Amino acid sequence: MAKNSNSIQTKIINANQRRTLPDFREIFRYKDLFLTLAWRDFKVRYAQTTIGFLWAFVQPAVTLIILTLIFGTFAGIKPAPNHVIFTACGLSVWTYFSYVMTNSGSSIIQSQSMVKKIYFPRLIIPLSKAVVGLIDFGIAMLIMVVLMIYYGITPATTVWFAPLFILAGIIAALGVGIWLSALTVRFRDFQHIVPFIVQIGMYLTPVAYPIEMASERLPSGLIQIYYLNPMAGVVQGFRWSVFGGEPPGNLMYISFGMIVLIFITGLMYFKKVEDEIADFV
Amino acid sequence: MKENTSIRVSDLGKRYSIGKQKDTSLRSTLTGIFKPSSKVDQFWALKNINFEINKGDVVGIIGKNGAGKSTLLKVLSQITKPTTGKIEINGRVASLLEVGTGFHPELTGRENVYLNGTILGMTRQEVKDKFDQIVAFSGVGKFIDTPVKNYSSGMYVRLAFSVAAHLEPEILIIDEVLAVGDAEFQRKCLGKMGDAAREGITILFVSHNIAAVKELCTKGIVLKSGEIQYSGSQLEAIDFYHKINTPPKKTNGLFTNELIEIKSFETKSNTLTAISISSGFTFSMDFLHKTENKNLALTFELRSKDEVIVFHHGTWLCEENDSKKGIYSISGDVPANFLNAGHYSFNVIFASSLHDVFMNAEGVHTIEVENETLAGNNTILPGVTRPMINYSTEFKEQ
Repeated sequence: MAKNSNSIQTKIINANQRRTLPDFREIFRYKDLFLTLAWRDFKVRYAQTTIGFLWAFVQPAVTLIILTLIFGTFAGIKPAPNHVIFTACGLSVWTYFSYVMTNSGSSIIQSQSMVKKIYFPRLIIPLSKAVVGLIDFGIAMLIMVVLMIYYGITPATTVWFAPLFILAGIIAALGVGIWLSALTVRFRDFQHIVPFIVQIGMYLTPVAYPIEMASERLPSGLIQIYYLNPMAGVVQGFRWSVFGGEPPGNLMYISFGMIVLIFITGLMYFKKVEDEIADFV
Repeated sequence: MKENTSIRVSDLGKRYSIGKQKDTSLRSTLTGIFKPSSKVDQFWALKNINFEINKGDVVGIIGKNGAGKSTLLKVLSQITKPTTGKIEINGRVASLLEVGTGFHPELTGRENVYLNGTILGMTRQEVKDKFDQIVAFSGVGKFIDTPVKNYSSGMYVRLAFSVAAHLEPEILIIDEVLAVGDAEFQRKCLGKMGDAAREGITILFVSHNIAAVKELCTKGIVLKSGEIQYSGSQLEAIDFYHKINTPPKKTNGLFTNELIEIKSFETKSNTLTAISISSGFTFSMDFLHKTENKNLALTFELRSKDEVIVFHHGTWLCEENDSKKGIYSISGDVPANFLNAGHYSFNVIFASSLHDVFMNAEGVHTIEVENETLAGNNTILPGVTRPMINYSTEFKEQ
């Protein structure tokens, strides 16, 4: 009969037993489902649209033009090396973060027909969104690389740190996404809160202006609060790794501390809600 | 757990809070921080569930709507967590609470087979290995690369069932999925399930289709109001199910079935006036017992207008398998100063044991208890009972 590496010999469901953190081994066993869900999302995303996959380029490109126009041309911010590339770099990580945040948040509600009918580790749903988001991130990076070639800018030697900051960005996005997916199950209000956070979040993150402007102009004490935004440190670090220049100061660790905190508490909260998801949605 | 036990459920219960949706809104949670939470109505969808299923058993779970069948399957499938108790499952489980879970209309048949297969717990490799069989069984043929939104509903369901049919689990949990497709495909599905059963797969099958339960299952569990009423062979379970659920026929306002016929049911006030709070009353019933040499017990249940059970009380008529064919008469006395004013109705349950019910006659008789003025107050007081209570009071200190 069933000969499968997936099979568990004896499974025990005990009402009095509760875990604090998700069962990562179980999640690993479901890796095929995880990849299939990510692939489905990607496949379905531009279905029935006329220009299809091109939309993935249009959105970041237009955002980039608008931000450059407002912050570069109108406000006259002149960061190095030039405003378009500067913004493209910040925008690439921010796009990923906002994609994962928006889509994870509503992910479980949107999969409710599945969640009510079959068991699998629910964490797979928000996790798969983080994978799909990598495609958007790749496209945004591509735009940045093309612009760098166009303007003849070579990456700094610190570029080898970039994967580290990308990883931090992924964990930040996951942490926030996991929190929001669980919160949205309990409180539908978050469906309305998330787009709002995404909108103001971009202005509170140094996407289109250098973070030095924030540290110079904010009253003392407030800059620490500014760095509570996990993406503040990520965007700053990623940009430094690509363009070089003054290395980020110790304040960046506030952001990284927040990332770890959000990620771990997110997993814990998710686990707490997970058992009752089917009763809530 | 014994070697040949497939599933063991002990003391399982699942509680739901009614109005949960409303009470967990952000606002009530936020305001809840400042004031004690208001009481929520709770009900047990499952209670004290205990059973053991051996390897290779095919168990039919039957019961009316709301009996807890689906909740039981959801708990067993790990979709929702039980409130009490423990479930031990030995072997790889596939649960099919619907066919085509996760199917996406924009994806092609082929893509959906992979998607649905992995959702059901297969690896991509396993789906790949069985892909040709799945397509052949479904009869979808050349449409396999067409988006399923263009499928007829029959094709859609056939493809979805085919994926499920190729799961190869050790334990299969199925909910009504056979009620799909045309007659020919249904036969094919039943055949596939029969094959699975012969191969020694343990099957748990929830259905309203008693005929399918009779044919496929070897064991039966009857659920009512979240509790197991009967557990045994499938034929006995079906018999039991029919007994508790077929309402007795009413002729001339009284009840009759092949075992019992209620001849009369009357109530009479114990005073010269109508039945009132302080009168008390006597009920009397004549009934025809159509079989013999059995035990015979009667239970009288009185319910208020709001379906609150005031009492559920009975007595044995015959305890040594010595009941006689013929008319029995029984009467009972309900004391004065017990019921509050209002409308009440009688249910009578005839049985030889807990599991062998002859008749469950609901609403045999209704009575109206008249109100009595209390200290010049004419309104009906709250509560289902209104006893006389002797108070003694004394002034302690200032």
